[in-house]
Amino acid sequence: MSAEPKILVVDDELVVIRSAERVLKSEGYQIEGALGGREAILKMEQGAYDLVFTDLKMPEVDGITLIRWIKKSRPNIGIVIITGYPSQDTMKEALELGIIDYVPKPFTPSVLLDVTKRAVEWAEGRKPAEEKAAEEFPPAMAKELDRVIGEYRHRPGSLIPALQRAQEIVGFLPPVVQKRIAKGLNMPEAEVHSVVSFYSFFTMKPRGDHNIRVCLGTACYVKGIEGVLEKIKERLKIDIGETTEDKKFSIEGVRCLGACGLAPVMMIDQETYGAMTPSKALKIMGEYGGPASDQAPDEETAAVAEQEG
Amino acid sequence: MEKVRSHLMLCAGTGCVASGTAKVKTALEQELAKKGLAEEIKIVLTGCNGYCAEGPVMAVYPEEIFYQKVTPEEVPMLVEEHFLKGRPYQKLMFREPEKKAAIPGMKDIPFFKHQVLRVLRNKGLIDPEKIEEYIARDGYQAAAKALTEMTPEEIIKTVKDSGLRGRGGAGFSTGLKWEFASKVPSEIKFMLCNGDEGDPGAFMDRSVMEADPHSVIEGMVIGARAIGAHHGYIYVRAEYPLAVKRLRMAIDQATEAGLLGKNILGSGFDFELDIYLGAGAFVCGEETALMRSIEGKRGMPRPRPPFPAVKGLWDKPSVLNNVETLAQIAPIILNGSAWYRSLGTEKSAGTKVFALTGAVNNVGLVEVPMGIPLRTIIYDIGGGIKKGKKFKSVQLGGPSGGCIPEHLLDIPVTYEDIVATGAIVGSGGMVVMDDGTCMVGTAKFFLEFTADESCGKCTPCRVGTKILLDMLTDITEGKGKESDIATLEDLSRDIITTSLCGLGQTAPNPVLSTLRYFKHEYESHIHQKWCRAGVCRNLTTFWIDEKLCKACGACLRACPSKAVVGEKKVPHKIIQELCVHCRTCFDTCKFNSIRILPAGFDGDPNEFLAKTAVGAKEEK
Repeated sequence: MSAEPKILVVDDELVVIRSAERVLKSEGYQIEGALGGREAILKMEQGAYDLVFTDLKMPEVDGITLIRWIKKSRPNIGIVIITGYPSQDTMKEALELGIIDYVPKPFTPSVLLDVTKRAVEWAEGRKPAEEKAAEEFPPAMAKELDRVIGEYRHRPGSLIPALQRAQEIVGFLPPVVQKRIAKGLNMPEAEVHSVVSFYSFFTMKPRGDHNIRVCLGTACYVKGIEGVLEKIKERLKIDIGETTEDKKFSIEGVRCLGACGLAPVMMIDQETYGAMTPSKALKIMGEYGGPASDQAPDEETAAVAEQEG
Repeated sequence: MEKVRSHLMLCAGTGCVASGTAKVKTALEQELAKKGLAEEIKIVLTGCNGYCAEGPVMAVYPEEIFYQKVTPEEVPMLVEEHFLKGRPYQKLMFREPEKKAAIPGMKDIPFFKHQVLRVLRNKGLIDPEKIEEYIARDGYQAAAKALTEMTPEEIIKTVKDSGLRGRGGAGFSTGLKWEFASKVPSEIKFMLCNGDEGDPGAFMDRSVMEADPHSVIEGMVIGARAIGAHHGYIYVRAEYPLAVKRLRMAIDQATEAGLLGKNILGSGFDFELDIYLGAGAFVCGEETALMRSIEGKRGMPRPRPPFPAVKGLWDKPSVLNNVETLAQIAPIILNGSAWYRSLGTEKSAGTKVFALTGAVNNVGLVEVPMGIPLRTIIYDIGGGIKKGKKFKSVQLGGPSGGCIPEHLLDIPVTYEDIVATGAIVGSGGMVVMDDGTCMVGTAKFFLEFTADESCGKCTPCRVGTKILLDMLTDITEGKGKESDIATLEDLSRDIITTSLCGLGQTAPNPVLSTLRYFKHEYESHIHQKWCRAGVCRNLTTFWIDEKLCKACGACLRACPSKAVVGEKKVPHKIIQELCVHCRTCFDTCKFNSIRILPAGFDGDPNEFLAKTAVGAKEEK
C-alpha cells in the first residue's frame, strides 16, 4: 500500500463525499469521490485505489452490485460500507461478500477516522479469507457478532439461537467465535463447546462456497442415494464433512430433508433437487462450477445413460 | 368484487417447488395475460398437496380437475385447451399404471379416493400465507368456542373422549396428557409443539407447518387454555426454512388479529407463542431432551418421573404435542368427540397421516382412517410396486420401527396391531421396499443412524448400538460369524431394557424385526456368503443366464469396469476377475437374464438356482 492510502468514497449525496474528504485529507489520506456505482466502476477502471467506502442505497448501480464487481474485478481493494442503520439481511449479504467494516450514517469525524485507520491496517495485513476468519474477523463481522450476542445476553436459554446467528454471520464456529460468545453470554467456554459439538447443525470447519447436502433418509436410501453420493464424492475427491481444496464445494450428509416424495434428494445451498441419479447430480454440480470428469466425456455419458435407461 | 371464473391451485410445497413450481407460475401468468384471461382466472399458491412425486401438481377449481407434471412448455396448450376451448387437457392428467384412460377428476384418482382429510383438511385449498383463507375455512372457530363457551375441563373431556393419541410416535392419550398438566398448580406453564421431525422417511409435519400453519397454532391455543399455559414454543428443525417462515408469518398475523397475545378474542385469556429453531439432533424428539434444548443446553433426556406435566421446561409443568396431533384438535372441538370416533377403531380413533415413499408408484402424503389394512394403503392408494419388481417389506416407524413382510399386509393399521408385528406406527413414515433391497443392509442403515444420533448418556445405547452396527457391517462384508445372530438378539434385548429414553429403547427394533421375518437373509449372508438382493458387494457373483440373454449389449455398455464381453447376437458373459460387483448390469438388463449367486460361486448355476429358488424356503 502506498504511503498515502488512496480511498474512493462512493455516495449519491455530494455532502457525504465532501465531509469524508474534509476529515480524512488532513490525516494524510488521498480521497476521491464518485456519485454512484457506475462512476465508481469507471474510476476504478482508470486508477488504483486501496480502499472503497460505499453507500448501499444508490440509484442505478447500488452498493451491493458495486461490491460484487469489486470482489470479482479488483479483489485487492478493501471495502467499507457507509450506511444508515443496516438491516440484518443487507448486513448478512455484505458480510458474505467480504466487507471489512461499516460506518454508520451520520458519522462523526472521530468514528470515520477510527474505522479508516482500522480498515487500512486490516487491508495491509491481507490474508486469505478463511485463515483470517479462523484467527480473527474483520471488524464488521466482530461488530455484528457482538451486537447479536448483546441481544441475547440477558435472555435465558439463548445459547443455541446465538450460535445459529453467529454461524450465519461467520459461516462456521471456530474456537475464537465460541470464546467470544462464551464471554459475551457470561458462561464457561466448555459449555458453549459442549453445545456446538452436540448438534449436527453447527460446524467448526468452514464450508465451501456451495454446500451440497445429501439426504441420507430411508426413502432416499431405498431409492439409491448411495450411488449418487459415491459419484459426488469421487468427482470432488472429498468425503462427507469435508471441503474441496479450492473451497468451492463441501459435502454434508443430512438425516432427512423431508422431501421423501422426490427421493433421492440433495440440496445445493438453498435449492432442493429431487429424483437424483449419479449423472444428474454431476450435471447440476456442473451448473455450480463443479469440476469436469477425468474420463472422456462421451464414454461417461454413454455408460450413465445405459445405467439409467 | 372481482369476478373469478376459475382458481388454479398450484402446489408450492417443498416437493413441487423443487420440481419447478416457480417457472410454471410465471408461464401461467404470462399465458393467461396473453390470452386476456388474467382477470377471471386466479392463480393461488397452496401448501403441499401431498402428491409429491408427480409434481408440480395443480388443481383447477371449481371443476376439481387435477393436472400433474406441469411444465412451462405445456402451459400454452393447457391454457388454450382448458380455458379457451373448455376441454380439460388430457396430456397432463393422471393415468393408472398400464392403463390408458386419463382420469380428470381429483376425486376419482385412486391416490385421493381412499383418503379422508382431517389433518390435511386445507391442503391444496388455501394460501398458507393468508390468515383470511384459513378463517374462511372455519379457522379459529374452534379456538373461539374453546375460549368463550367451554371450561378447561370440558375441553379436556372432549379431547379425552375423542380417543386422540399422540401422533408423534408413542401414541399416548392427548387428553390425559393435558389433564395431568392442568391439575398441577403453577403460575407458569408451557404449551409446546414438537416440530423437530427427525424420523427419516416422514414429512407430514413439515407439510402441515408449510401448508396450514394456523391449524397448529389454533391447536396450541386450545391446548394452552386447557392446561392454563400462557407461553408456548414451537420447536422446529432449522433444516425446514419454509416451515419456519410460514409459521413466523402465521404467528404475526394471528397476533395482529387478536388470536394470540393478550386477551384473546376478548376472553381474558393470554397466550404468547414463539418459535425455537432446533439444531439437528434426533434425540431432541424425546420430550425431556427437547425441553433441555429449548433451555439452550445439550439435548439429553433425563429420567421420568417427574414427568414434564409436573416438571418440564425450566422445571415448570409443560405439555409437548406433535404437529399432527395439534392439527387434529380444532375439528374435534368443533365437531365433538363422537364425530372424531366415527372413524378408526376403538383404541385407535380418527385418522393418521402417512408419508408413503419408496418403491411404490404413487409417492406422497396420505391421510387415512386408522384401522384400514396396510395393503389398501400400498396397493390402492400407492398404486402398488413399481413395474418389474416384487414387494418385499414395508418399513414403519423409522429408526424406532420395523419391517413388515408381505404375509402381514392385511393387518389393520392401529397402534396395537402394528406393535404386535414388531414395528410401530411412529410418526407415520411408511417406506416400501422391493426385492432389490437387502434386509441386513436395511438394518445396518438404521443402526448407522441410531449409533450416530445416540446422545451418549446411557452406555448400553451408546456402545451397544455401535456394537450392533459393527456386527451388521461385518455380516454385509462377508465376515459374519455363526454366533452373530444369537448375539444380535441378546444384545438388542439388553439395549432395550437398560436405556433411559425412547431412542435406546427402540433402536434395536430394526434389527429384531428383520431377524424375525428375514432371518434367512442373515443366514445366507453368514453361511453362503450370498446377498440375494445383490446389494452387499462382497457377497455376490453376477452371472448371465445365456438362455435368457438377448445379446442387446445394454449391460456391456453400462459396465464401468468392462467386465462384460460378447457381441451382437452372441450371449454375453461376465469375466468374474474384472467384475467390481456394482450391480449396474443387473439393474440395466431388461430381460432379467442376470442372476445373483453367492460370492466366489463355483458350480452349476442352474442347478444351484433351482435348489434355492425363492418360495422353496420362505419363513412360516
